[in-house]
Amino acid sequence: MISDEQQDQAALYALGLLDADEDAAFESELRANAELHDLVRELREAAGGLALTSPPLLPPASLKQRIMGEIALETKGVVPMPTRRASFGWIPWAIAAALAVFCGLLAVDRVRLERQLAQIRAADPLMQTTFYTLAPSAPAPADAKATVAWQPGRQSGVIRISNLPAPQSGKDYQLWAVDAEHKDPISAGVVRVDNDGVAQIRFKPVEKAEHVKAFAISLEREGGVPKKEGPILLVGTT
Amino acid sequence: MIARIGRRDQSAFSALYDRLSGPLYSLAMKMLGDPSEAQDALQDVFLQIWSRATTYDPEQSSVFSWTVLLTRSRVIDRLRARGRRSRVVVASTEETPTGAPDASIVESAADTAEKNDEVARVRNVLTNLPSEQREAIELAFFEHLSHHEIAARLGQPLGTVKARIRRGLLKLRQRLNKL
Repeated sequence: MISDEQQDQAALYALGLLDADEDAAFESELRANAELHDLVRELREAAGGLALTSPPLLPPASLKQRIMGEIALETKGVVPMPTRRASFGWIPWAIAAALAVFCGLLAVDRVRLERQLAQIRAADPLMQTTFYTLAPSAPAPADAKATVAWQPGRQSGVIRISNLPAPQSGKDYQLWAVDAEHKDPISAGVVRVDNDGVAQIRFKPVEKAEHVKAFAISLEREGGVPKKEGPILLVGTT
Repeated sequence: MIARIGRRDQSAFSALYDRLSGPLYSLAMKMLGDPSEAQDALQDVFLQIWSRATTYDPEQSSVFSWTVLLTRSRVIDRLRARGRRSRVVVASTEETPTGAPDASIVESAADTAEKNDEVARVRNVLTNLPSEQREAIELAFFEHLSHHEIAARLGQPLGTVKARIRRGLLKLRQRLNKL
């Protein structure tokens, strides 16, 4: 039997209206009450249906291309190292061949080669991306880590964080781009991890950052700050 | 499909996008009112689906509800950030809202949606809720007002607002179950 009060809480929970303490208390009640758990599931489904009352719209086709491009980028970025090493076995031979060709083609126009290189870079998103690996510094847990894929041309990037526990109440993690041409780190926004300490977030720094030397994550006041104040938890270069 | 996405199947992901991007984008637009921000939110959501597909638990919710909750959560993050930007710190880099969405897109999406009988029936159920219940639920769901804020907005006691939300959602559940 589920009381009216439990039903009230279940409805508020399904709509995400409980505060953190109420949420935790209700979740522990849920674990002990299968009937209540089923009710929440059904109320959640009903709440999900509310989305269908929004005026129907379609996103532009370019959005799908953008998303599929990011996924392809990420997939390329996680190729296991052994495979990657094996695939580069031809490099010494390629270099030797390239040198031979180069010697034989002294008359080749350097401008033309540079133009070709630029075309290759423009065609392959991976060539336009720089990866930064962020390592923990105290007081972050030793196994916390983050990777940033940064595209200077687009002035945007994706950060993936793992093993970083959620900050205490009233605090937020904030991402910073350390740029050679700016005196202070540039804010790239607040980043929030889930209950597993994981986040994958797309970001854009608030100012143009053309010469990023490093990315860092600091612990700041809730909502973020315009200029870094708190301790650095993760930092890394390319 | 989610299991295939968890195994990094891009074609399954593409199919899921085709199925859900319309309703999720519509939700983001209704809450944010800005196409550029709604698209960024949707991008975040689908990247999250891609990276967290293995954590999806069918015991907790259907795929649709899971993705709706993800979308709502990302949109709420953006609404909070928008509020903070306006009242605190960072020089605003936010683009001016671009106004009403392109009419052809609206019509095309509307045509698609109306052809789908099931969607039409669900919409009918939702729009036929008693108005005071629907209003309380909509303020909670789309504007992310707390029950205290809803009570203040509607000038009603907190208990009344909680009861309206509860009754409305239970009615929705009951009617949707009959479909």
